[in-house]
Order: sequence, then structure tokens, then C-alpha cells
Amino acid sequence: MEVNPPKQEHLLALKVMRLTKPTLFTNIPVTCEEKDLPGDLFNQLMRDDPSTVNGAEILMLGEMLTLPQNFGNIFLGETFSSYISVHNDSNQVVKDILVKADLQTSSQRLNLSASSSAVAELKPDCCIDDVIHHEVKEIGTHILVCAVSYTTQGGEKMYFRKFFKFQVLKPLDVKTKFYNAETDEVFLEAQIQNITTSPMFMEKVSLEPSIMYNVAELNSVNLAGECEVSMEQFILMLQMIKEMMMEKLGVTTFGSRAYLQPMDTRQYLYCLKPKKEFAEKAGIIKGVTVIGKLDIVWKTNLGERGRLQTSQLQRMAPGYGDVRLSLEAIPDTVNLEEPFHITCKITNCR
Amino acid sequence: MENAEGADPSTPERSSPAQGPAESAPPQVPGAGQGQLLYHEETIDLGGDEFGSEENEPVSEDSSHFGDKLNEHLMESVLISDSPSNSEDDAGDPGCLQDVMEPARGTAGPTLEDVIDKGALDTPSDDVGSDGEDTPRDVSDVTPDSRASLKEDPEQEEAEDLPTLENGGVGASGPGAGEAPPGGAASGVCPRQPPPRDEPVPVCTIFSQPQPAGSQPPSLRDGFESQMVKSPSFSGASEAAPRTPPQVVQPSPSLSKFFGDTAGANSLASDFFDSFTTSTFISVSNPNAGSSVPENLSSLAATPGAENSPGSASYSPGMERSESGISSASLEIPQSPKPFSQIQAVFAGSEDPFATALSMSEMDRRNDAWLPGEATRKVLISVATQQYSTVFVDKEDLTMPGLKFDNIQGDAVKDLMLRFLGEKAAAKRQVLSANSVEQSLVGLKQLISCRNWRAAVDLCGRLLTAHGQGYGKSGLPTSHTADSLQLWFVRLALLVKLGLFQNAEMEFEPFGNLDQPDLYYEYYPHVYPGRRGSMVPFSMRILHAELQQYLGNPQESLDRLHRVKAVCSKILTNLQQGLAEDGSTSGLSQENRQASIQLWRSRLGRVMCSMANCLLLMKDYVLAVDAYRSVIQHHPEQEPQLLSCIGRIFLQIGDIKTAEKYFQDVEKVTQKLDGLQGKVMVLMNRAFLHLGQNNFAEAHRFFTEILRIEPTNAVANNNAAVCLLYLGRLKASLRQLEAMVQQDPRHYLHESVLFNLTTMYELESSRSLQKKQALLEAVASKEGDCFNTQCLKLA
Repeated sequence: MEVNPPKQEHLLALKVMRLTKPTLFTNIPVTCEEKDLPGDLFNQLMRDDPSTVNGAEILMLGEMLTLPQNFGNIFLGETFSSYISVHNDSNQVVKDILVKADLQTSSQRLNLSASSSAVAELKPDCCIDDVIHHEVKEIGTHILVCAVSYTTQGGEKMYFRKFFKFQVLKPLDVKTKFYNAETDEVFLEAQIQNITTSPMFMEKVSLEPSIMYNVAELNSVNLAGECEVSMEQFILMLQMIKEMMMEKLGVTTFGSRAYLQPMDTRQYLYCLKPKKEFAEKAGIIKGVTVIGKLDIVWKTNLGERGRLQTSQLQRMAPGYGDVRLSLEAIPDTVNLEEPFHITCKITNCR
Repeated sequence: MENAEGADPSTPERSSPAQGPAESAPPQVPGAGQGQLLYHEETIDLGGDEFGSEENEPVSEDSSHFGDKLNEHLMESVLISDSPSNSEDDAGDPGCLQDVMEPARGTAGPTLEDVIDKGALDTPSDDVGSDGEDTPRDVSDVTPDSRASLKEDPEQEEAEDLPTLENGGVGASGPGAGEAPPGGAASGVCPRQPPPRDEPVPVCTIFSQPQPAGSQPPSLRDGFESQMVKSPSFSGASEAAPRTPPQVVQPSPSLSKFFGDTAGANSLASDFFDSFTTSTFISVSNPNAGSSVPENLSSLAATPGAENSPGSASYSPGMERSESGISSASLEIPQSPKPFSQIQAVFAGSEDPFATALSMSEMDRRNDAWLPGEATRKVLISVATQQYSTVFVDKEDLTMPGLKFDNIQGDAVKDLMLRFLGEKAAAKRQVLSANSVEQSLVGLKQLISCRNWRAAVDLCGRLLTAHGQGYGKSGLPTSHTADSLQLWFVRLALLVKLGLFQNAEMEFEPFGNLDQPDLYYEYYPHVYPGRRGSMVPFSMRILHAELQQYLGNPQESLDRLHRVKAVCSKILTNLQQGLAEDGSTSGLSQENRQASIQLWRSRLGRVMCSMANCLLLMKDYVLAVDAYRSVIQHHPEQEPQLLSCIGRIFLQIGDIKTAEKYFQDVEKVTQKLDGLQGKVMVLMNRAFLHLGQNNFAEAHRFFTEILRIEPTNAVANNNAAVCLLYLGRLKASLRQLEAMVQQDPRHYLHESVLFNLTTMYELESSRSLQKKQALLEAVASKEGDCFNTQCLKLA
């Protein structure tokens, strides 16, 4: 059925398939009851179907794995995996086969082949297989360049290439906002939006602070919280936590919803305290400082993993003017007619 | 697909005529390079205004020509065109050109550009670095996207309005930049990928959520700065040059198919055939089916084989036998029920309390119980009280179904055989048609069990035509019997099984919400004296509800399922309060009550399971998991399966840890049971867990372990083969799948297995067509007319 065969056919054929994770086969359950006209027939048909779950045929989600059906999307931070197969379609032995896979991005060219040594010979109907992996670090057009060279039986050197182009998309939209507390603490609110088309499980979202700050993550329900709570509140909290434990889910502020649907946004909150030694440094009180960066790890279908970091987050200190007056200590309650102490701090911000 | 590649002149591949000889020409190979590498290191232009449009062209052409969207998994090589108007950006070229390995070209310097053009396909002349122009062009200079800019002023609320782009000229995209990447001339790199394929695939895609066209992330809210995200190990370039995130997102690869897209739900949910040992006719014994319909009113009772058929009246065996002896299989003698008023006239006054008591068996009451809606209930009461005159019922409140299409007979397998194997081979394909079986329920069951569902749908149609509800009869007054509704149920269920959801929807439409008065036995007091309840089979209600989710309306499905669930719960409450199902006070024996409670509990469980399935399709995983957990209470015997299913759901979301917890629960539960099934389940879950941890080798080990204790396990066999492919062992994977299919074709010629097999054939060589044709032949000898040929990827 080869239509319009090329004049010069190569003895080898190169095929490339992207290996996204396989998917689980889904059934359409149709059942009936014993008393219905088909009797047990429909149920029997479902029991005989190898793709249904043995003993619970009504379940839609089966166990049968199917290979990826299309190239799909690839997102920044994910790993691009691909199967490269070079097959000897001819009936002669081919020698000195070298397969090379390069990835051309807009800024660089990477060699992805596992081995760079040539295969001495390839018999008819045999193939050379390679699975390449590459963590995608750039957005935009990527081209996988596969080159094959070999020597025919007649000693002729042959060479061909194939180009496979794909786009790398941005998976997340991250927005940040800083809140300055009177106490030199900085609160960072980060909104992370899933802009892919599939649900995303956020495995880790953490703030890696710069050298000047210590960070406290405020995204989990903390039992040993510093804040004082009444006994009733405490019991209520304990119950909540217990419920969450029963749900076998982490005690995060996100409750049982551990994943982000497409276009869903989630808020994370961090409290940053300047380290003592940097408390008076210029960046804390004036100008722009680097606060740190967010490190995000997510997983999608069957554990397909992705990881991204934001660029260094920068914060502009609030304008204190030339001199800043801050209260260091002040009593909670004071008695009438009695003197009391407050400690002030005056900082020269110039 | 092989044809596609060969025939498409615009695909710059091995098949390009110019390429082969040119590349292998001696001048290319200097003596020094003998036996050494022949690689051209070249840079490829990634910018190019023309690029975007051209990139799509060959691919889409391909697909429209050959209509084979299933081959998408194999990457298409693309055409790369040179754009002469490149703006130079040497900075973006990090030495990828330096390592030119071909000695002959060393002189040409590191800035060689390999021009690949549509006209001159990769000919060596293009390799001469005629234009010393350096690519790749930095994408940023054509696609300013301020959202990604990392140079925002931290205090700036609308940081994206102030992009600090190196290439200022193009960066003038203005404040709108945050909304979307400019689609116009400014954005040279068209973010579009080859068109998304929402084509039918053999794997059932239930719903998709195609990204709404304008669904860019909403513009920034006050106070929030967008942050650039980058891969942690990437330094330099991306920080320096913010790039456009191509915002056009397509349905994602794999998830979308199951969890992703909604579009094309109808066409996508594929047919499912079941393997079946069909050599012997499976006789279904359902003594309770049907009914106490008086013999002379049952249109089906007159057919031979009525003895086996549920349509036969259980209380008049003698009469039946004599009938079956004399009548020939003619359907032209339907004694279709007369219009309601006539029947009433004939039977008026003949009601006999004894007959009533007899016909209203316990079983019927239990099964048929249903709670009509308020309006319907009133009509039914008035029918019951006004025995001597016709009750006027608004035509709109009557159910007037009719066939909406005549004939869906057809055999896709045979069509393919004609196309690929010729007439001679196609002639060998023999499947039962509606004509080749008895025109009765026996024939119908025969067709269903040998998987000729299209023919079975057709036969249902004929039987319904005999009942006066044939083609074009929709909207005409008719009357219903328990049998006619059962026939409708079978026909509609088969349509759903075949994936013909639109057709099913069309024919379901006259039934409304399955609550019209004429669907109740009480409406026909003289035909069914004393019988109460709904003629609509419970399974038909489930089907009616579930159908909507396959049509892309999962919300409607949920609504309907909730209504069914409400009635089930109410009936259960009635029973538990010592009342009859319908809330009437009747002395049910303890035994009967228990049987009723059991039945309605299991029905409630069935509805809950459907709801869970529907929620899963809606991608509301939290609710779906909750629903599956509540199903456990109704079907405790399915606990390990349900827990495993929940675990798999978490795996699909990517929440490996929670999945693991559920899998551990399964292990605890199955410890109590001994036997093969529990062990298999545990091993299967462990394998899936390793899959989720990206450890295909371990996953393969566990799937193989299952095969050791249960060699016929199709799932483990198939999954082990899939793992082998990911481990780079294509040939071994193929061998495993082929062996499996050959070993027991009746059982293993499953759509999913065949899909995997054909996918690997395509990856293996350019000669996949012959192998696929061989599969077609195997299918032809084993499968009925319901086979979904798409998985063969021959089209």
C-alpha cells in the first residue's frame, strides 16, 4: 500500500513517540437486573470484558493501561521523554549505525542520546531503541533533531535526519504580594494558578528565603501555634484536625482538596523575619531586597512530575522617610496614675 | 500513516527524494571522516514570522487527508522554514554551533545555518552557510510577554504594564499584554501547536474541557505581581529574556482523554465489546421477568420460543405450549394492545379480586414499586376510581415513543476488510444479522451474546414495530406493556453500549422523565388488574440518567440520579417503617420485607455508584471519592475493589501518597480474604504505585508476578507489556502482546490491547500496515458487528 514510494528509500526507518504516562482505560457500564429482558446477559458481557474491574464491573475506571494517544502538551519543568526507534526495514544487514538525538531550543542545543557510540550492525527487522529524557527548562519552540547515519552493504554512507517540533507551555501563573508589618516582618502572599488543562497535585510549595530572612510557612493548621486560643476553640480545632486525619489527608489549610483543577488558584502565605544581623541593613528598611524564591513541585497523571522555581522575589521596603520610630516594648495594661515604661527605637533611614 | 508520510511531499523526511543521495554523496564525506560521524550540527530557526502558519500546515493537511488522528502519538517530523527576515541575536546562541563535527564544514565557521526549506528539502546546498545569520532568534524579541517579566518593580501593582524588555521595539505591546499574548504580527512565534485532536479515539473519553478560547488567566488583581517561573536548574537565558508563555493550551495528552476533554464526548466514548464464549447459547432464566400479562395481549407471546422468553405468562403454561407449537415466527401477527379506551371498554367490569390477588405477586410488587410524581399520582388515582368511563389524559402527558431511525445495521469490520483485504477476504466475514435469527426474544439474546449489537438493535426495532411503536410512530397514541418497555430498554442500552449516544437520546426523548401515567400498571387496570408500580425497568431509569453524561451534560445526569436516589431512599424508609414500598399499609411478611429491603438497598447502591462515576467524569474528585466510599456501605463485598479504585483516582490526580494509603487499606481488607483475587488486587496496586513513582521496572516486576499466579490475567499481561515499552524494550513488549492475543483471541482481542498493539506496530517499523491487517483478519473471525474498528488505526 505504499503510495508514491520515494525514489531513494532509506534502509532504516526512524520513529519517535513521546512517552507521556499511560492512561487507564475507562468503561461504559451498562447493567440490568435479573428480572429484565436480557436477564444476566448485560452483566455477563461486562464480566467477560477484560477491561472491567473484576468483582466490581460497574466501576468506570479500569486497570488496563493504554499508551498515549497523542503528543499532548508539555509544560515547563516537566520531563520530556521520548522513545526513539530505528528499525531496519530492508532485507540487508546495515553497518555502523549511529543514532543521535539533539534538542534545539531557542537558546541552546542539547544532546539527549544515551550513548554516542555506533552500533556495529543491524540485522533486517531488528531495531535500535533508545528512551530519552530531558527536563524542560525553557518555554517556547523546541525541536528534537534525530539524525541517523549508517553504511549499506555496498559500503555506501547514508544519512538522514528528522525534525520534531513541539511547544513548551507555561504550567503555572504565580503572583505575589507583600504585606509589611510594623514589626519588620514581611508577609508574602503567593497566588499559584494552574493554567494547564489537567488537574495538578501540588506536592510542594515552599519559599526558599534569601540569606537575610527566616521564613515561617503559614499553610498548615498548626497545633502548637503561638497564638493563644480559648479551650473551646482548641477543642474545635482538635476535632477539625481529627477529621482531617480521618480523611487521611495532610492538615493543610486547603482541607481535603489536595489538587488544583485547571484554572484554579491557591493562596499560600509566608511570614518572613529578618535575621538579627541584618535587621538594620539597608534593604530591610530602605530600597529593594531579595526575599527569596518559591520552589514548586507538582504531579499530574500517574505521577508525572514537574518542578519550577520563581525568579528571586523582590520587595520594596515601605518608605519610612529619613527617620523611623518604632516601639520596641510597651506594657499590655497599666495602672492609672502610675508611670510606665515604653521602649522606642529611632532608626536613621538615610 | 505510512502512506501519509510517503505521500506528503511537504514532509521533510527520509522519503524526500533529494535528501538521500545528496546527503550520502561522497563530497560530504572527506577521507578523514571515514567511518566517523556524518552529523551536521545546525541551528534551527525558531523564530520566523512564517513559522507559525507553516508549522501547522503539513500536519493538519496530513490529518485531513488521512483522517487518522490516532497516530498523533508518533511525533510528526515537521517542516522547518527559514525566515529571511531574521533579526540577529547572537547572544542567544550559546555555542551550540561550535561543535560542528563534520570536518568538511569546519571552515564554514560556527555560524552555519542549516536551512530547511519547503522547496529544497534539506539539500546540502542549503548547508553552505550562505547567510551567516545566526539563529536561533531569541524568542523574546518577537514575543514580548510582560507577564513573564521578572524585572517588575516590586511596588508596581500592575507590573506587567512595565515590561523591561531588552528588545524595546517589539516590547511595546502595551498594557494589554497581560491579557493574552498578542496574536498578531508582534508575536512571531505562534504558540499554537498542531491542532488539537479531539477525534474519536478508542479509549473512552468522557468529557473534556476544551480550553475556552479566551481563557487566559484573568488579569492581575490588585496588588499581585506575576512571577516568572522557571525550571530550577535553568539559569541565565530565561531569566534574562522573559519569554512568552504560549497561552493557547490544548487538552492535555493523556489525562485529557480520561479526565480532560468534554468535547466530543459523544463520539469519543467508544463502543465496548466484550469477549464472550459464544459457542453455546446462554440461556437466561428469569422466571419472574414479565409478568402477569394476559396471553392475548402480549404481542410477543405469540412467537415461538416463548417458553424461554420472559414474555410468557407464567400462570398459563399449557396455553403457551400450544401456541408455540403452532405459530411460525411471523411478526406480522402482533396483537398489539388496543388503545386504552377500547381496552377499558372491553374489560370494564370484569375485574376480579381473585385474579388481582393472583397476579400481583410479591416479586412483581417489589420490583415494580415506584413513587410517581404528584401529577401522575392524581391521574392514576382517577383512573383507579373512575372505572366506567375513560379518563381524559392530556396528550402531552402520554408517552408516545417510536423508532427514530430505521436501520443502523452495518459492519465496520467488513467495510475495512473490503478496503484493505479485498472482496474475497471480506466475503468470509460472517456475522449474524437481524434476519438470520429467530424474530423473537430468543434471537435477540443470541445476537446480544455473540456481540452483534447492531443487529440486535435492529431486531429490537422490528419487535417494537410489531408492537405498533415502529418508525414514524413517535407522537401517535399507543399503549405500553411491560414487554414493550423491556424492548425499549434493551434497544437503548445497546445504543449506549455502541456509543451511539445521540441516537439513544433521540429515542429516549418521548419517554420524558419516565414518570408519565401511562408508564404505570395502574393506568391499565383491566390489562393488569390489581398490579401496581412502574413498567419502566429500574435499569432503564439508570440508563436514562447516565446517558446525559455521555452527551456532555453530566450535571443533568447527576440531577436525574439524585431523583432516582430520592425515590429509592423513600421506598427504603417506607419499608423500614413497616409500610409497603409505596407507603401503603399492607401486611408484608417479615421475609418479604427483608427481601424488599435487600433489593432496594442494592438499587440505592447502584445509583450511588453511577453518581460516583458521573462525578469522576466531572473531574470532581473529592466528591467522587466520597461517593465511592459511601458505595462501600451498600456493597461491602466490593470494598477492596472500591478502595483500589479510589487509590487509582488519586494516582491519576498525581497524589501518590494518598493513593498509597488507600492501597494499604486494600491490603488490610484483603488479608481477611484468602484466595487469588485478593492477592492479584494487592499486587496490581503495588504495580500501579511504582508506576506513579516513575519506576517502570518495579511496576513490570509486579505485573509479571501477577501473571505467575494467574497466567490468564489480561490486565497484568497488557500492563506488563506497556511497562516494557517504557523501559525501551519495544520488541519484547510486542512479543508479549502478540503472544497474549494469539493465546486466547476470544478473550484478548480487546480494544485497549489492540490499540496498544497497533501503536507499537507504528513505532516499530514502516510496515505496520500489514501487521494491522493481520489483526483485522483476527478480529473478523472473532468479533461481532459491535467491534470498534478505530483501535486498529487503519482508517
